[in-house]
Amino acid sequence: MRRLVARRLLLLAPMVWLVATLTFAVVVAAPGSYADAVDHPGLDAAQREALRARYGLDQPLHRQYLSWLGAVLRGDLGVSFVTKEPVTRLLGRALPPTLLLGGAALLLDFLLGVAVAVAAARRPHGWFDRVSTVVGLGVAGLPSFWVAGLAVLVFALLLGWFPASHMLSAGADRMSGGARLADLLHHLVLPAACLGLAGAAGTARYLRAALLDIRSERFILAARARGLSERRVLWVHTLRPALLPAITLLGLSLPVLVSGSVVIETVFSWPGVGLALLRAAQARDLPVIMAITMLGAVAVLVGSLIADLGYAAADPRAREDLR
Amino acid sequence: MSAPRRLRVGAGSLGLLVVACLAGPWVLPVAPAADPARAALLPPGAVVTEVTTIDGRAYVSPEVEVEGETVTVAGPRRDEVLARTDVASMRRVRLWLGSDRFGRDVLGQLLAGGRISVAVAALAALVALVVGTGVGLAAASAGGAVDAAIMRLVDALLAFPTLFLLILLAALFRPGPAVLVAVLGLSSWMGLSRLVRGQVLALRGRDFVLAARAAGATEGRIWRRHYLPNIAGPLAQDAALRLGDLVLAESTLSFLGIGLPPDLPTWGGMVAEGHRVMVDGWWLATLPGLAIALLVISLALLGDGIQERLATGAA
Amino acid sequence: MTRYHGVEVIEMTKNLLPVALLVTAAAACGPPASPPPGPSDAAALPSGGTVVIGLLSDVQGWNPYLADDLDTAQLLALVYPTLAIEQPDYHRHPPSFAPALARAWTWSDDHLVLELELDPRARWSDGVPITARDVVFTWEVQTSDDIDWLHSDAKGSITAVEAVDDHTVRASFSRVYPYQLMDLNDGPIVPAHLWSSIPFADWRDTDWLPRSVAGGPFRIAGHTPQQQITLERNPGYWDAPLPALDRVVFRIAPSEQSLVNQLLAGDIDVLPSLPPADLERVRAHPGIELVIYDDRSYTHLCWNTTDPRLADPAVRRALTAAIDRQTLVDVVYGGFGRLGVGPILSSFWAFDEGLEPAPHDPAAARAGLAAAGWSDSDGDGVLDRAGEAFTIELLAAAENELRQDIALLVQADLARVGVAVEPRFVEWGTLVAAVDAGDFDGVVNRWEEPTQIDLEGLWRTPAPDEPTFNFGRYSNAEVDRLLDEVAGLADFAAQRPLYHRIQRLIVADQPYTFLVENTRLTALASRIRGAEINSATPYFNLERWTVGREPAR
Repeated sequence: MRRLVARRLLLLAPMVWLVATLTFAVVVAAPGSYADAVDHPGLDAAQREALRARYGLDQPLHRQYLSWLGAVLRGDLGVSFVTKEPVTRLLGRALPPTLLLGGAALLLDFLLGVAVAVAAARRPHGWFDRVSTVVGLGVAGLPSFWVAGLAVLVFALLLGWFPASHMLSAGADRMSGGARLADLLHHLVLPAACLGLAGAAGTARYLRAALLDIRSERFILAARARGLSERRVLWVHTLRPALLPAITLLGLSLPVLVSGSVVIETVFSWPGVGLALLRAAQARDLPVIMAITMLGAVAVLVGSLIADLGYAAADPRAREDLR
Repeated sequence: MSAPRRLRVGAGSLGLLVVACLAGPWVLPVAPAADPARAALLPPGAVVTEVTTIDGRAYVSPEVEVEGETVTVAGPRRDEVLARTDVASMRRVRLWLGSDRFGRDVLGQLLAGGRISVAVAALAALVALVVGTGVGLAAASAGGAVDAAIMRLVDALLAFPTLFLLILLAALFRPGPAVLVAVLGLSSWMGLSRLVRGQVLALRGRDFVLAARAAGATEGRIWRRHYLPNIAGPLAQDAALRLGDLVLAESTLSFLGIGLPPDLPTWGGMVAEGHRVMVDGWWLATLPGLAIALLVISLALLGDGIQERLATGAA
Repeated sequence: MTRYHGVEVIEMTKNLLPVALLVTAAAACGPPASPPPGPSDAAALPSGGTVVIGLLSDVQGWNPYLADDLDTAQLLALVYPTLAIEQPDYHRHPPSFAPALARAWTWSDDHLVLELELDPRARWSDGVPITARDVVFTWEVQTSDDIDWLHSDAKGSITAVEAVDDHTVRASFSRVYPYQLMDLNDGPIVPAHLWSSIPFADWRDTDWLPRSVAGGPFRIAGHTPQQQITLERNPGYWDAPLPALDRVVFRIAPSEQSLVNQLLAGDIDVLPSLPPADLERVRAHPGIELVIYDDRSYTHLCWNTTDPRLADPAVRRALTAAIDRQTLVDVVYGGFGRLGVGPILSSFWAFDEGLEPAPHDPAAARAGLAAAGWSDSDGDGVLDRAGEAFTIELLAAAENELRQDIALLVQADLARVGVAVEPRFVEWGTLVAAVDAGDFDGVVNRWEEPTQIDLEGLWRTPAPDEPTFNFGRYSNAEVDRLLDEVAGLADFAAQRPLYHRIQRLIVADQPYTFLVENTRLTALASRIRGAEINSATPYFNLERWTVGREPAR
């Protein structure tokens, strides 16, 4: 197991390098794009040259690449074109809200997914199974921005149960610790639900299939034959092996979650990485776009690594496959 | 739902949508002129009268009164009174899905948006298909270090969350339709190339390929006769699911305001636009949202159906 | 030349002044804030409370001389003081001024030298007095090439600003004209004791938040980028009244839609500029009042007069006649806004009252186009001349939904007279580059006018190869001659007849289709009392606002 971890970690490094290089290739090497973003129509020739020198655009491409890569390795992701602040500081601020939102969504995804799958697998092709399949299909097909807009309309504007946006109330800095936490959770409910719902549909669908597969396996029949209660068979003997692949599934749902965060954070003005990415895209703030894109890819790589390792830790049979 | 039924339902509703989008303009009565002053935000089912004058102006309103020698076109702010002799023609039209902020017929917009959304997604899928198949075949046939290098590159590209990649590309190259097709296509060929490579590698060792090769078949003939037919099934399934993803991706970009320019109707753009008047015009965001869902679900059913047919066929 | 265009409403410090006052219903029934206690009277601090204001974008930093957007300027005007306060009388004559940091001033006999006496009570919030040194330092900042302040043009006729003693400043001018004090006053006073140690060349790389200090009624209390800016009452404020509110929170959201949602949900109290499309939703809400007022800007179509198809004034007049501008106002602006007339807004003293908005007359438009040689010879519904179809590309900023709506309506109207319009919605930077280069047919744009009359930048024949705001390269020798004549007059009353003649020439030439003189809708929670909202800044008398109760959330 330890060797597996070391090996996978070693494999991660070249992938991260490749991801960074691809980002550089797309953004900086693409003709005109980076230089255009630096250029401003109002500049005269001398100012333009000065700016190009400042961003190193007067250097040959390979030198630009090496100095950029060196900076990235030192943890220097450049300076935002718009706010002039270091991108790392911007990310440090945007990351915690995104992790919070993503974590809550993932939790909901998993809990709801398991609950629905178990209920559906209890009586395959029963009414709940049919209804949940259709609803799940619908949820997965509905565009998330549409669902989020509707959720704001219904739960924030018409019913007034939850705030329409942001992570904290305007007066939160004056609240006591407990009240502040409650305020945060209150703001978290709608966006986390919108983000987690689509994932839950996928998890439920996958898990239901896995549960049904396992049900027909020999050791389940044996358990039944031993006279164990149906509930115990389902919750203990069937769910546990079915959850193993679900761990991988959660790893796979990470990219979906990361992508989804852009839409959800935009609709809810949630101060995370997705919103920062959209704002940067609107303003063509390339250093920020590059950094967040890389970060997203690295997160996906790390996520799938953790899922693989978790799977291996839980199931010895998988260790061989993952070598 | 059983597999064949899924296939039927998916293909059926997909066909219906596409046919409606394509044939709509020929079958439906010509939509009335857009009259933003008098016919904006009418609910589904509203009946309007279109009045055309001899000098080519058009007025549309739910309330038009002919009285003696004058025709009065009522509007929420002011009425337009025309002399009857100036009126060239009048007709009544039902707006089945209502009108938008500019008084445009939503049904017509929806169909036009569908044509654009589906066309963009389909062309992008085609781009992905060509690039993905090409890269996959190249990797499989090259083998060795080249194969490994290509596949690592594919892995790295796959690590980018799709929407991030799309936003990055959309920020670099402001999309018109052609750029959008390229951006969508180029951000979604990676899975396909993996699939193709995997299939080819698996088939390569199979008896019938070895037999064909032993019988002296050329490499090209083996591609045509053995690889392609066997890859076609998984490709079709992948294409159906991918098309759904692409429709969603296109509409998400339009919704975020970094997709197609807003004078081109798209479903995502219509949802974004409809959100602005959610209370006064619930149908404006709801209908295109449901249209997207219907399209994506039909494609998912179709993909599922194909997959299960393949699974049972192979068994 | 102080004129801005932009995605946001862009307007700056020259105009931080009251205009066309419109008092809310709330202000009319609620008593104004009681006379405030002196700053040292801590026991009698005013009632307190928080107001939450919605913003579309974050501040562009914390230095007023480095930002070029309206939101930042308006916000920092609450923190940094000005010498004098412009009065809301610009529509009758060049604006007059009330004392602020300068409590009195005297002109020399030739009106070329101005001596200002600073208020000796004035203090920064760190206790350091605000003196002539700050004023002179501020002038150095305003005219520094390294800093390149957006409004440095306003200081063009000022030759020197010197400290006579700690509380006396002398400003010298190169010429006499109606806007001398206005130009001197442009821009807030900044703290020399904290900022002068940083070389101007390094200013753009400096973090200004830690160096912020307040000389106005509010001080900066916190900033969460892209989320929230918190101002609080400056307890050391030297002038009366001390604000009644103890906090003002600016909430930032990425879209107008999100801001409107928060307004309706009660999370935001003030939305300075409500999109007209949301008017009905907001009007139906019982807890929100609307303030509606002229915002001193006009939206127009700028035609490229060097384009062979658009060079003929008769053709441009025909295009204007073909556009149903009243419907445009009804649909895009919810009925709010006045039809545009000409280059001077109808609320200004220099406006020629004899001018009327051009009528909507498609038949006249068709006749005018036919007379200019355009006909639909191939029967495709689009006019053509010598084999060339009359197809115009109309640019609008992709970030601005209103302007896109306008482009779509203009497209429909012009199609009815046989002119094909292709709307192109491009990113702001691309649009600016295109119009700067003269590489366009028509563009939907909006100018935010200063409180002075200034026609130089937009209507004088531009010098070749120099940057100009005269995007359409409009050129009329008689207009140029009259502009020269106006510039030589020190008295505004003598300028008036000349301005009338210029307006008539420009209206006849229609280098623009003057669409609409804009109206702004500001939404206010009805618990706010005493707000005076005007076209200069929604926060004009923020220090006098009071609130009924704390926000629900």
